[in-house]
Amino acid sequence: MERNVDLVLGNEAIGLALVEQESRIVTGYPGTPSSEILASVNKYKVWLDRQVYTEWSTNEKVAFEVALAAAWTGVRAAVSMKQVGLNVAADPLFSAAYTGVKGGFLLISADDPGPYSSQTEQDSRLIALAAKVPVLDPSTPLEAYQMVAEGFLLSEKYGLPIMLRPTTRLCHALQSMALERKMKGASQTQRVRFKKDPARWSATPKYRHLLHKELNAKLIELALEFTTSSMNSVLHPDSSDKVGIIASGVAALTAVQALDQMNVNVPVLKLGTPFPLPARLVREFLDRVEMAVVIEEPDACIELQISDRNKVKGKLDGTVPSAGELTPEIVFSVLSRVFTQAGLSVPESPEDEELTAFVKALPLPARKPRLCPGCGHRSAFFAMKRTFGPQAIYPGDIGCYTLGTNLRAVDTLVDMGASISMAHGFFQTNRVLGNKQPVIATIGDSTFLHSGIPPLINAVHTGARFVLVILDNHTTAMTGFQPTAANDMLADGSDAAHRVSLAELARACGAKFVVETDPYENKTFSEVLKKAYEHSQSDEGGVAVVIANRPCVLYDPEPLRENPLPVIITEECDGCRYCLEAFECPALVLSSDRSRVDVNHAVCVDCGQCIDACYKGFIVPELSDLRTDIMSKEKIEV
Amino acid sequence: MNLKIIICGTGGQGVIFLTRLLAQAAIALDRHVMVSETHGMSQRGGSVISHLKIGGNQAPLIQVGTADILFATEADEAVRNLPQLRRGGTVFANAENGLRSEVSSEVERMDFQIECIDAGKIAFELGVPAIANVVLAGFSASFDVSPFSYDLLRETVDRTAKRDHALNLQAFKAGFDFGKKEQVFSG
Repeated sequence: MERNVDLVLGNEAIGLALVEQESRIVTGYPGTPSSEILASVNKYKVWLDRQVYTEWSTNEKVAFEVALAAAWTGVRAAVSMKQVGLNVAADPLFSAAYTGVKGGFLLISADDPGPYSSQTEQDSRLIALAAKVPVLDPSTPLEAYQMVAEGFLLSEKYGLPIMLRPTTRLCHALQSMALERKMKGASQTQRVRFKKDPARWSATPKYRHLLHKELNAKLIELALEFTTSSMNSVLHPDSSDKVGIIASGVAALTAVQALDQMNVNVPVLKLGTPFPLPARLVREFLDRVEMAVVIEEPDACIELQISDRNKVKGKLDGTVPSAGELTPEIVFSVLSRVFTQAGLSVPESPEDEELTAFVKALPLPARKPRLCPGCGHRSAFFAMKRTFGPQAIYPGDIGCYTLGTNLRAVDTLVDMGASISMAHGFFQTNRVLGNKQPVIATIGDSTFLHSGIPPLINAVHTGARFVLVILDNHTTAMTGFQPTAANDMLADGSDAAHRVSLAELARACGAKFVVETDPYENKTFSEVLKKAYEHSQSDEGGVAVVIANRPCVLYDPEPLRENPLPVIITEECDGCRYCLEAFECPALVLSSDRSRVDVNHAVCVDCGQCIDACYKGFIVPELSDLRTDIMSKEKIEV
Repeated sequence: MNLKIIICGTGGQGVIFLTRLLAQAAIALDRHVMVSETHGMSQRGGSVISHLKIGGNQAPLIQVGTADILFATEADEAVRNLPQLRRGGTVFANAENGLRSEVSSEVERMDFQIECIDAGKIAFELGVPAIANVVLAGFSASFDVSPFSYDLLRETVDRTAKRDHALNLQAFKAGFDFGKKEQVFSG
């Protein structure tokens, strides 16, 4: 057996365990911080020579149901998503808690306290609590790895879906772990078939009542089992009884780190099973301390389930912040305050506040995320802004192109697919109010397939009139280039996919105007936008769909390599900064004396798209023969 | 000895590669390692920061004011993250003209050791601007305060660099040589 120590990402540890634990089907929809889980399953199934079917499903609800069918058949299955994806999968989740499962079923929902890459910092554990699904809450990649095995065992023992809830800091933590190459055993060849059971798998409301009772009984049993589970432990059991800490997840280790820093020893009840709460364990812990503070994130879940609140401090009484990540600094300051109140002496924070204030006052450059040099989204947004101006409403969506808000070409952001329903809503509202205002929505290829189709049908059907720009960059770029249903590739990299056409889908939704064009062709693209708007306003018109087809430069740099268009900025540049603000390419930078704009050749990809961004004509092709040619052909009236 | 190291820069400057290089070197020393990386939206040109803990507590993040060493692939990110360091901590920065002069009094007060190299220029001369992070790694190995020796880090580069393998080793050596020369000149 090969054994070596390597750095393992939290998400890789989960992926490895899913393969080792004989999952037969693993599905998911990409979303930071969960995206590397499914990719790791693909990596490790090859390493360990296992048969695991994986797919990037079109959305989280679909992913959940596909994996659920495997668990109903009787084999192990898992589904991964980020916390807001769980909202999309909430419908089957609530139902599956009642019906239960036969084979082990793990739902991995990654939370994002902060938030760093999400529209909310909601707590998946609270969704699980509402759905009555048990949750395991790991603190390290190694714990997550172990909890996959525990989760499958519990799932099979109780016939319940089990949620594993990592957070961003765990998903993207690398831990040194000893890896053993556990090669395939014989058990994968087991003969299993779906067995019909109408009172369960197709239960009507009458049976659902019984299933609900059964679920409640399982949870009571589970809470008892968790009381003695190795996933829950008391650290520093013999220390001071003045204050105790109840903590879970990454925040539990952050609390222990603060104790180390303070050189203070208090008992810590570290809970790996926040729901159902092992109430007896918590009660016994509370009995031995004078006061306990609950450290968990992002929301109160453990704390919410503690019925006797006399001794308990946490988020509910304002002792612990209720928004934002529990950083080491925040946990240190919270504990410091609680300990001081309890009469324990604590040292000052190691942070030098004078230095922090000094650095904060320096004029350091703000580094906001921006679209990459050469990104086709930028060209599309620039053309939209130039064609429709600031008076139009630009509903936006979730993906790299959310950054269109920097270019003021994204005015609204709700959730996946909302750009289309919001555009429809703005149109209908304006109609009611008698306002006339162009509405131009943008959505990415993957997001359109995820949840853009029902709102498009809805808009076409009810006679809405707006322009929808589908930004097709041929991949799910923000989360690491996962294939979409419009690709030739499947999740495991094979090319067996049946490709779905975005244009055909849009037409099938009823859109009469569907034109596919390249946003790099500035003039043509702008003309198509104008025609699309005219269509949307014409007597026979409705929703007009423009598919902006340009591959992501990071995912597929070939087209750009084949047709580079290097530029220079002429001597005449007067440093007006219009291009910096309206085009915002990282490769266009202010010169050190701030008198003009220069090209940063270290990041420039020679796309030549900025030529149009200088309305004064000071950004020109480097090759002079191209210059006259392109300038005469491409120059557009501003 | 337990060590806390911050590695910072902006998206696309190889902060993650540099972090993993140092972490692999620590593993080669048989130490337990915990790293926290930045993924997602920030990788599109935002500020990027990694935390690397060698031994000690397993929480992924280092508390502000307790880091021993700060690696920065860009000068202003080095300055932005100075508060991460404990008193007497060390900075290895890719900075063409050193850190901005305003910070000198604070650097003195906090007793920081600041070591800068124009790694960008060396990388550019090697024909791969993106390799400045490896130049910086080599530079750090030339100082006594570095937890990783030349041989150990070089061997780790040799093992982990997949693309432009020979150039990576060249970049590493160039950074190291620059650091050694600097130290001879400064006596």
